[in-house]
Amino acid sequence: MPRMIALVLKHRVAIILALTLTISGLIVPGYLSGTTLSLGLDRAAAIGLIATGLTVLLIAGQIDLSGGAIFALAGIVSVILQPSIGILPAAFVGVLVGGLSGAINGLLVVGLKVNSLVLTLATMLIFRAVAHWITNSQPVSGIDIMFSLAMAQIYLDIFSIRSTLFIVLIVLLHVWLTRTIPGRNVFAVGSNPTAAEESGIPAGRIIFFGFVFAGSLAGVAGVLQSLVTNTGSPVFGSELTVAVIAAVVVGGTRLEGGRGSALGTLGGVLIMAALTMAMEFQSVPAYIQQVVSGLILILLVVLDRTVHTRGRTAGAIPLLVTKNPITTGGKT
Amino acid sequence: MSEIASETDRDSSSERFARGSRLVDLLSKTGLSLAIVTVILYGSFSSPVFFTAGNFLNILTSMSIIGIVVVGMTFVLVVGGLADLSVPATIACGAILSLGLQPIIGPVPAFIVAVALAGLIGSVNGALVGYLGVNPIIATLGIGTVALGIVQAAVGGVIVYGANPSSAEFVKGRLFGIPVVVLIFLITALIGHFILSRSFWGRWTLATGGNYSAAEASAVPVKAVKAGAFVITALAAGISGGLLGLTLQSARPLIGQGYEFSAITAVVVGGVSIMGGFGSVPRAIAGLIFVQLLTNVMVLEGVRTPVQGFVLGILIAGAVGMDSALRKRGIA
Repeated sequence: MPRMIALVLKHRVAIILALTLTISGLIVPGYLSGTTLSLGLDRAAAIGLIATGLTVLLIAGQIDLSGGAIFALAGIVSVILQPSIGILPAAFVGVLVGGLSGAINGLLVVGLKVNSLVLTLATMLIFRAVAHWITNSQPVSGIDIMFSLAMAQIYLDIFSIRSTLFIVLIVLLHVWLTRTIPGRNVFAVGSNPTAAEESGIPAGRIIFFGFVFAGSLAGVAGVLQSLVTNTGSPVFGSELTVAVIAAVVVGGTRLEGGRGSALGTLGGVLIMAALTMAMEFQSVPAYIQQVVSGLILILLVVLDRTVHTRGRTAGAIPLLVTKNPITTGGKT
Repeated sequence: MSEIASETDRDSSSERFARGSRLVDLLSKTGLSLAIVTVILYGSFSSPVFFTAGNFLNILTSMSIIGIVVVGMTFVLVVGGLADLSVPATIACGAILSLGLQPIIGPVPAFIVAVALAGLIGSVNGALVGYLGVNPIIATLGIGTVALGIVQAAVGGVIVYGANPSSAEFVKGRLFGIPVVVLIFLITALIGHFILSRSFWGRWTLATGGNYSAAEASAVPVKAVKAGAFVITALAAGISGGLLGLTLQSARPLIGQGYEFSAITAVVVGGVSIMGGFGSVPRAIAGLIFVQLLTNVMVLEGVRTPVQGFVLGILIAGAVGMDSALRKRGIA
């Protein structure tokens, strides 16, 4: 029986996702159709791409609040440059801006040795300010609406370009995190940076590239969003930060670092997207949707917390105590 | 006494270090006051309206609402609770309920109920962070979302308007020539300062933030102290929200948006460490005054809003960078 519970808890993300999809499928008519799922997946991709980058950072024990601002900034740059250098080069520059913003975060966090929460709060304000600055706080629009339509095209009834990109990237990230040495090192840095540094793992460099990776992916997400909507706006992505953190944490990645998984993040993103879709289809008011997603977040985190502490106290220590003839009074 | 003397002797033995650390020491103690004086001087020379009683009264009034939150947020940072991101929700709770309940139970009971319910939200935060050990960012983010949703559901998700003009008159009016809001802010700040710097609770708060395990071993009720910081912040935000609602005579659900970051900015700029264990209410308020004066000067100079965001971001980054630099030297 305990093994059953452990199994359920281990695969809780997959189980919750399956439950959400099943219940929504039963209640909401037309929920499990290709169109609905592809739409949901496409919308989840923006959150998912940023979440992919954040997963690495959280595992390394850092956090990035500036993802939403980078998302907006990269999108704006990719739209503004379209008339002068063409759509694809502009998109490339947009992603580059994302990576550069991430590099600024990384340099400051590693160089100044400051708490990434406050620092990325500061850079969030700065990036957002730059986005407002270069657009005069007005939305900007791209040159070719047909290209946007092509970008939003659905293939095989279910995949759009960005949802495919998101899924491919997160699977690659999973392989990288679990099967390669640099990937394992990220976990080492997250669980104990000093110990990692002592064992010859370049903790600073890993954290720096973590920020660059997160920034680049926020940039990719922003550029794709701008290409699909043919618009760049300084207010884009302001509500994304919370959604992204929630999705990653629901997927079982710890904010304290050292624990997490890319596939878990995929699950987390899909759970949140499936829930939002179902509630929107049932015209649940936005504030009730907030209550539901907030409760799920809290529930999963508390569950994670209690399981983790129970695993330590009820698993390891009592085993020693109960098997020890001295502590049990010699009656073994 | 002799110990102190020998300490200073040893310090001055190496002249190079002594000179450096004395300068840094001086900077860390007087840096903020110097900055405030500089801004005041610059403001008075550059703008004829800056150094007038009217303008200062404006600054005071506008900083009072956020100042009440700052007092609470100081406790969260000092106790090592990182930050309370549920402030927008608790402010909205205070504002929406203190206006929405007016017709039913009268203005004063409505205000009290609103603040009490905000405190309840804080105690849920506190229970999660202090007793269950959930990461403060996630806990306050999640509970904030849930609480905001519930408050909105309670009033039907609409903007609430005030129904009692006399209470609005009182809040907007003056007592002994000082605006009532400012008076309430000053009283809150005094109480907060007394608790943090003069009471056993404050000593416990500093001890818990400085070294959690050591405080626990010294029989400090660390869990309660940590939880208490979130209750204090929520109560402060509730009061602040109630006053904001009464001043504006209308409350929308997003009324408190951005207040959490403004409060964190002020506290961090004031030199209170995000790592906990160090800080005081006057320091945080000095940070707030500096930020408010700077913003005021920028507004008078006609600096565009995005640039102001840019400057604020750099200010936060600089403040945390300095905090970590001072920490390394063991001064702050």
